[in-house]
Amino acid sequence: MSMKITGENEKNTKKRNKNTTNFTSKGSPITKQSHEENNSEQNFLTNLKIDMLSDEENEEEIDFFKLRSGNEDSIHDIVNSGEENDNFNNGTSGESDNDEYIAGDSLDDDDLNSRDHVENFFNDISSESEKTQEQYVIGADGHPRKILPEIDPVYDSDSSTENPTNTIGNIPMEWYDDYPHIGYNIDGKKILKPAKGDELDKFLENMEDPDSWISVKDNLTQQNVKLTDEELEIIHRIQMGSYPKQDYDPYEPTVEWFTSKTEVMPLNATPEPKRRFIPSKWEAKRIMKLVRAIRQGHIVPGKTQVQKPRFYNLWNDTDQPYEDHPMRIAAPKMKLPDHDESYHPPAEYLLTDKEKEKWEEMDPEDREKNYIPQKYSCLRAVPAYNRFIQERFDRCLDLYLAPRVRRNKLNIDPESLIPKLPNPKDLQPFPTSLTLSYDAHTSRVRCISIDPTGLWLISGSDDKTIKLWEIITGRCIKTWEMDDIVHSVTWCPIKEVCAFAFSCSNKVGIISPTCICEEEIAISTTRYVTAGFDNSQKNEQKSKLVDWLKPTNQQNVNGILVIIQHVHDKTIKQIAWHKKGDYFSTTAPDAGNQGILIHHLTKHQTQQPFRKTRGIIQSAMFHPIKPLFFVSTQRYVRIYNLMKQELTKTLQSGVKWISSLDIHPMGDNIIIGSYDKKLCWFDLDLSSKPYKTLRYHTKAIRNVTYHKRLPLFASCSDDGLIQIFHGMVYNDLLQNPLIVPVKILKDGHQVVDSLGVLDCEFHPTQPWIISSGADHTIKLWT
Amino acid sequence: MGKLKQKGKAGAATNYINRNQALKKLQVSLADFRYTALILYFEYSLEPKNKKKANKGSTAPTTFYYTKDIQYLAHEPVLQKFREHKIFLKKLTKALSKRELSIAKNLEKNRPVYTLDHILKERYPTFTDALRDLDDALCMLFLFSTFPATDRINSETVTNCQRLCAEFQHYIIKTRSLRKVFLSIKGIYYQAEVKGQIINWLAPYQFSQQVPDDVDFRVMFTFLEFYQTLLGFINFKLYSDVNLVYPPKLDTSKDEGAAGLGALIIETTNSLATLSTSSHNNEDINNNAIKEEMVRKLESEKRLKTLSEKLATIKDQGNKTSEIQPDTTKEPEVMNNEKIMDEFTSSDSKYQQDVSSKTYTYSDIQNASIALTEFENLFSNCIFYLSREVPRYSLEFIIRTFGGQVSWDETCGVGSSFNESDDRITHHIIDRPATGHRFLSRVYIQPQWVYDCVNARKLLKTEPYQPGKTLPPHLSPFVEHKEGDYIPEFEGNMEETELRNEQEPYNEDIIHQMELEAEATGISFSIYQEQQDQLAKKQKIRNTNNTKVQQPSIQTITGKKRAVKEIEEKEVKELAKIMMTKKQKTLYNKMQYGKKKQQEKAENLQQEKTS
Repeated sequence: MSMKITGENEKNTKKRNKNTTNFTSKGSPITKQSHEENNSEQNFLTNLKIDMLSDEENEEEIDFFKLRSGNEDSIHDIVNSGEENDNFNNGTSGESDNDEYIAGDSLDDDDLNSRDHVENFFNDISSESEKTQEQYVIGADGHPRKILPEIDPVYDSDSSTENPTNTIGNIPMEWYDDYPHIGYNIDGKKILKPAKGDELDKFLENMEDPDSWISVKDNLTQQNVKLTDEELEIIHRIQMGSYPKQDYDPYEPTVEWFTSKTEVMPLNATPEPKRRFIPSKWEAKRIMKLVRAIRQGHIVPGKTQVQKPRFYNLWNDTDQPYEDHPMRIAAPKMKLPDHDESYHPPAEYLLTDKEKEKWEEMDPEDREKNYIPQKYSCLRAVPAYNRFIQERFDRCLDLYLAPRVRRNKLNIDPESLIPKLPNPKDLQPFPTSLTLSYDAHTSRVRCISIDPTGLWLISGSDDKTIKLWEIITGRCIKTWEMDDIVHSVTWCPIKEVCAFAFSCSNKVGIISPTCICEEEIAISTTRYVTAGFDNSQKNEQKSKLVDWLKPTNQQNVNGILVIIQHVHDKTIKQIAWHKKGDYFSTTAPDAGNQGILIHHLTKHQTQQPFRKTRGIIQSAMFHPIKPLFFVSTQRYVRIYNLMKQELTKTLQSGVKWISSLDIHPMGDNIIIGSYDKKLCWFDLDLSSKPYKTLRYHTKAIRNVTYHKRLPLFASCSDDGLIQIFHGMVYNDLLQNPLIVPVKILKDGHQVVDSLGVLDCEFHPTQPWIISSGADHTIKLWT
Repeated sequence: MGKLKQKGKAGAATNYINRNQALKKLQVSLADFRYTALILYFEYSLEPKNKKKANKGSTAPTTFYYTKDIQYLAHEPVLQKFREHKIFLKKLTKALSKRELSIAKNLEKNRPVYTLDHILKERYPTFTDALRDLDDALCMLFLFSTFPATDRINSETVTNCQRLCAEFQHYIIKTRSLRKVFLSIKGIYYQAEVKGQIINWLAPYQFSQQVPDDVDFRVMFTFLEFYQTLLGFINFKLYSDVNLVYPPKLDTSKDEGAAGLGALIIETTNSLATLSTSSHNNEDINNNAIKEEMVRKLESEKRLKTLSEKLATIKDQGNKTSEIQPDTTKEPEVMNNEKIMDEFTSSDSKYQQDVSSKTYTYSDIQNASIALTEFENLFSNCIFYLSREVPRYSLEFIIRTFGGQVSWDETCGVGSSFNESDDRITHHIIDRPATGHRFLSRVYIQPQWVYDCVNARKLLKTEPYQPGKTLPPHLSPFVEHKEGDYIPEFEGNMEETELRNEQEPYNEDIIHQMELEAEATGISFSIYQEQQDQLAKKQKIRNTNNTKVQQPSIQTITGKKRAVKEIEEKEVKELAKIMMTKKQKTLYNKMQYGKKKQQEKAENLQQEKTS
């Protein structure tokens, strides 16, 4: 709806956005007119609000084009500005006008003329300033400042006759609503708001003033300005929908500057230049370039595209395939369909409702198959597969985006992973089945021991008894009542002495079961054991570790020969005999540095081998041949030389908590069992690390033991199983020991309170093993 | 002392290049890189063995490429063409915006064109390499040949795809190299054997495809462009190898009438040659014929002469060549060259000996080839008629591949060779429950019969496939049943098993072996046979004597023994497991887990089957 209205002479009009005002009035089209004055007489911008007396129209924002106010015949000037162009060119007038040009935002071709004019003007000024003498003052910043001469404005440029101009520019006036002033004049002084009455005053004013209907509120001055007749005329014309200028003729005959007719006479009479008659050098050059290109075949003139056949024989028989390269990985082929992808699969391939639900719940990436098997009664009923394109697209993406890796699929028979071992049948004898059960204890049987002859068995139990059994018959021959839980019982390893040691809280005793041995042996045993009493009484030590006590009469009747009462009150968990039967060690894990004591039976002497103990001691053992002493703490097994009194070796087991330890009768290999289910075999000649670590029990290993003669060893565990191994040690140092699991003895002991088999020991001569369990029984396996 | 090795100068650090580096090196945009490098060249990214080593110690997720691949790409002409194309586009837009139409026209005329031929050759140096990668190409083209012509895809591409597919199918028909077909819910799977390569592809059912919105068609089209070129070149090679003219002519009238496969006119190169010679006048032909006869006579005389010599040599060689003698008379060409014949016979005897040491014998190979030709001519005695509602394109392709004749309702498409009332028709494929008029001379079957026959490699009974009947399940021929897998029941299967049961428990090979063993021990063949006969008789008598009551008791005893043995074996295995290392144990357990899962699956299916 906007229409550009140009002045009569377009050369002199200039679009100035700054000064444009939009105008609307009753039903008339919004017109936008840009206009620019060249007159030297200063014009101020006016933003006018037409007060048309009617309230409704008052509310409408009215933008109006810029008008020259102050000059009486302003409209006329606009119209006839073309005439004033001459003035403009004179250069004598129009300072402010020039300023406006500089500030203008767009330049037309016509501006160029005026630009010259501006330059002239500035030249004039500079020449003037050169003439006047230059004066300097020290400015505020301490630097000399040139005092410029006063500019002598021309008479016409004086604006003093005008009302004080508001200099705030074209800004929304409501910004000044809260202030008493409405802007600033050219000197920077506030222009106060004119007195404004209330609505009644306004009304009265309107009523009284006969010209109020033709006055418009000037936004900048906040005052009503009476419109001139010319302005009213323009408004009227716009309202009528005609051109604002009265004498504008839209149907002016066009001036044909360049006619369509060819004129006979040339416009200019200059003679034809020479270059018109000689061939162009540059053209020749360009042509030569083309000629050369044609000669060399870069350009084929009139080339008809000879269509190469689109397909031809690309491959010959002599082609060589690429050599295999690790980086060259062919794309994997698509998976071929399974039975359930059929349109008519067997009924068992269809998903049940539950499976379907599960399939739908899963993320699309997690699904094993990207379709639900479906069954159609006939081929006719099969619909189009709506994910076909998607699947193809996914395949494409896979082909070019997925990184490729060559993964070697392990194509081996799982059975081949199982090591080939000699058949257990070839490694017989070993215990295979349960033969006898010794049931008399009323609580868990903690410890058992078989006498060196292999006829008798003693067992210590939580019911505070020690029982003596005949192995072959399973008859309980004798029972000793104790004060406390019996933690350990061990036979003296020599056959000449028929006695065993037991531990009960902090006491260790030696008992000679007279009922089973010959009288001679019984007597010699008594002598052997009690011989030390005289000795011990003589040598009273300063700091006593133990008391070698004589038994009371009643105890004597029972066969107890000596009681060794330890000074510390910790329970003694283990007793280990030296091979010769003269020394034995006692282990009390909680007793600190008195945890291990070595007792000399015949002399009734006690030694404390270690001033300090490292860690909690689990068990201790004597080497069967050499003067070595094995002490196992929670994680390490330390081997001490008793003769030299030094540490010879530390074995690092790698387990968390060693439970038991046994030494091979040859003395070069040891096994340890641990509460973390592991069994370690150490070859002392080989390394301080285990030769083999086996983990096969599901619960903690309670005890491990070697057979004295046969190449067998066993472990018993809380899972109620006893595992028998064939453990062959060769004399040849280069050959590693052969370990073959031969039998798992099951279904013997029951697990009670998550305790299974507590102790096991091989028969000294036969391939039998006797085990005691938490289910109050002792079992013989043959 | 050797030179110190600097870090990052060799090995994985230099072998791999990440994507941004590659882009920088090639000076292309990511889109161009994807287009050329990834899709056309298949410069797939790789997963280095050690990410840290390849990525300067960082383990951040990065795409890696093989450096040499990228270096190779840097000299790629297509990449240069892309740059040219970009320049061309700039020039063109400039010219168009300036309204310099003549310049624009000129530019358009010289639009840079690129071809993918060299890329094909580089990617697939040999023809077999190309065939190996044909699966995806065929799937894609078959898919696009059913595409609706939308604003996304122009109809030219679709018709080109259709044409290429039809050409390939024609080759398959010509060489009869289809092996397996499978009707799945997604489409129809085909398996063909071309030049020893197994090619599988999936063709959608003939429905207009629903085009999803979340598919980037630029990627698809790039692939399509490449695959079109690939299949074109492959078709050319295949056609020229079997002496067919490529490209085959298109019968436009038929094509417009939706004739499908029939729209292409397949011509052999020989026929062209004869056509050209046919323009000669009759006299020439006569002359030629006389000359040819003369030549033939001469040749035969020569042959007769050589034959006598030949016979002498053959007699020397004894009975070994007795089988070949009739062959020599039948095929005189072989006799032309005496020496070759000699070599052939001698090598043949050697060959037989060599092969007998392996398990394959000459007869085995022969049997196999006979079976194959039988299979290839599966429908040679059948004449099919297709009703309107059956998938014609697929069935026509299959039936023609296996030597059958096929016709269809005229309303489906042009090119049906005979109409419904023809007496010769043996099989009428119909997919409707009931029909009004029935011809007694023919069998009415559902389309699945054709597919099942192909997979079973023989003509199955048609009774279960009669229209309106519930069909037997259609099983995938691609599944190879391993031990322990669930094997669904199928008619073909059942027959086979029955056949097996009817046969002797052990096959001929074992019998043969036993004979040989007997010979080795010194028993002559005749005596051995007698013994065998006696044994067989005894066994029969025993079998008849043994009542049903006795049998189970024996079985239970043996079962017990077996159970004890099994338990023992199990125990030994368990014991041996103790000695496994941790690594072995985990590996073993993993394998067992997979096995167990598979077993569970099979059991599940079995259970569902029984319930």
